[in-house]
Amino acid sequence: MTEEPSGAAAVVAGIGESDYYGRGKSPYTEFQLALIAIRAACADAGLDPAEIDGFTSYMDGRNDPLRLSAALGVRSLSWTSQPWGGGGNNMAAAVQLADAAVSAGYARHVVAFRALAQGQFGRFGQSRSAGRAGGDFAYQHLYGLLSPAQECALHTRRFLHDHRISQEALAEIALAAYANAQRNPRAIRHGEPLTRAQYHASRFIVEPFHLYDCCPENDGAAAILVTTPERARDLAAQPVAIVAAAQGLGPGFGIAAFQGSWFPGVFYRDVAEKLWQRAGVRPADVDVLQMYENFTGPVLMALSEMGFAAPDEVEAFVRRGLAGPDAVLPFNTSGGNLGEAYIHGFELVNEAVRQVRGTSTCQVTRKRVERSLAVAGPGYAAGSAVLFGPSA
Amino acid sequence: MSRALGDDWLLPALDAKNHAWFTSGTLALQACTRCAAVQFPPEDACRSCGSFELGTRASAGRGRIESVAVVHHAVHPLLRPRVPYAVVLVALDDAPHVRLLGNVLNRAHDQIAIGGRVRVVFEEVTDPESGELLRIPQWEALA
Repeated sequence: MTEEPSGAAAVVAGIGESDYYGRGKSPYTEFQLALIAIRAACADAGLDPAEIDGFTSYMDGRNDPLRLSAALGVRSLSWTSQPWGGGGNNMAAAVQLADAAVSAGYARHVVAFRALAQGQFGRFGQSRSAGRAGGDFAYQHLYGLLSPAQECALHTRRFLHDHRISQEALAEIALAAYANAQRNPRAIRHGEPLTRAQYHASRFIVEPFHLYDCCPENDGAAAILVTTPERARDLAAQPVAIVAAAQGLGPGFGIAAFQGSWFPGVFYRDVAEKLWQRAGVRPADVDVLQMYENFTGPVLMALSEMGFAAPDEVEAFVRRGLAGPDAVLPFNTSGGNLGEAYIHGFELVNEAVRQVRGTSTCQVTRKRVERSLAVAGPGYAAGSAVLFGPSA
Repeated sequence: MSRALGDDWLLPALDAKNHAWFTSGTLALQACTRCAAVQFPPEDACRSCGSFELGTRASAGRGRIESVAVVHHAVHPLLRPRVPYAVVLVALDDAPHVRLLGNVLNRAHDQIAIGGRVRVVFEEVTDPESGELLRIPQWEALA
């Protein structure tokens, strides 16, 4: 295990995003949003989009590299890839794939991105399908368990029960996201502060999740441009190193979300082991954390499995306060999925890069950020995480 | 017997792998004929030894509630009249690594606790598409 490559060769040379919109409010199509974010990342880097030669994303069957290459005038395509399975669990894996392609020399300028305008394709707050379910869902939908919120609620309820964690721990996640969004003009919840009383008074979606424990659905896109440190020196923006990245799905992970020895959980112990080993750092060394919150409960489980706090101590850990640039561990500093925009977590990647650049609207001030971590979500498939730092 | 979430609520799509589960009136867990490992959900190969020789073994159908989700926001139009309702996850006594979902038929949604003891019961319903009698596993809380 100690002989694994560090994976530290590639850098982020540009970041970009579209404006973020409430669900169904984008004046642009999802594909146009993807182009806007990718062009912005190239503009940030000072690179002609024609020089892009690779694309990575996740769970995206709509904005494929053929369409993108044609619309961006890509001269020669060398690399396309997406990780398998789940959804938001793969946001950091998409960065890892870009890193792998560039580090191995298979491509020179790879864009990792996610574009979402789901209202153009499906209905928010509705089940995945309206008809009879087969496969693993055959054993699930007929009992009225149809949505990710409901699945995560089963895990969360048990996790709270086993470790005597109160609703206040969930509230801390939501309150931090909304508080940080008030500093971020890009954020959809900018100008809409959330109070603890409002949180508790909001309706239940599925216990233990109140309305504010659940991320919205939004329209928008975010992208990064990955290249080598050598090429980045000739580009416009300050490069940020991809220090380490990991995908993980250890033994005993369980099939169909509820089996195996990992219930309750989010499948991140294996990601943690690989990431900390590759990076040569520990959780306590992280300066700022972006963590995928489709719902607040999985964040508590991910904090535990990534090693930030033991399960019995995770409530005390979050009740120290997560909001603002001066928190012990600043968390989801752009507002995250809950407060900035739900771009399937990719907005968290851009924010993690900003923290290393020193350009966040909730910038860590006590020190220069050297270890900026982005942890993806619970897809109940392989999870992923990526650690960014200053480029040498 | 009427169904927990209404007689019009969706039934599963039956196939070769799940047909016995939803028709036999037993918890017909997939079991490896070579190494005897029991697994759920069913797969084309044994997850323990890799064998393709798979049969079934019935569980006695008693278990413990591992978790419960009380649904307040209906995500399907047919479920709007049913909220709030509870979905439970049950670990079987004779196959504790197998966790099955279901509804508890004899308890209100707010009277279901983690650790509660349950036994399997079967909702009988005629499949309107095939005319076949289905027996859907559900749960009954033990006193």
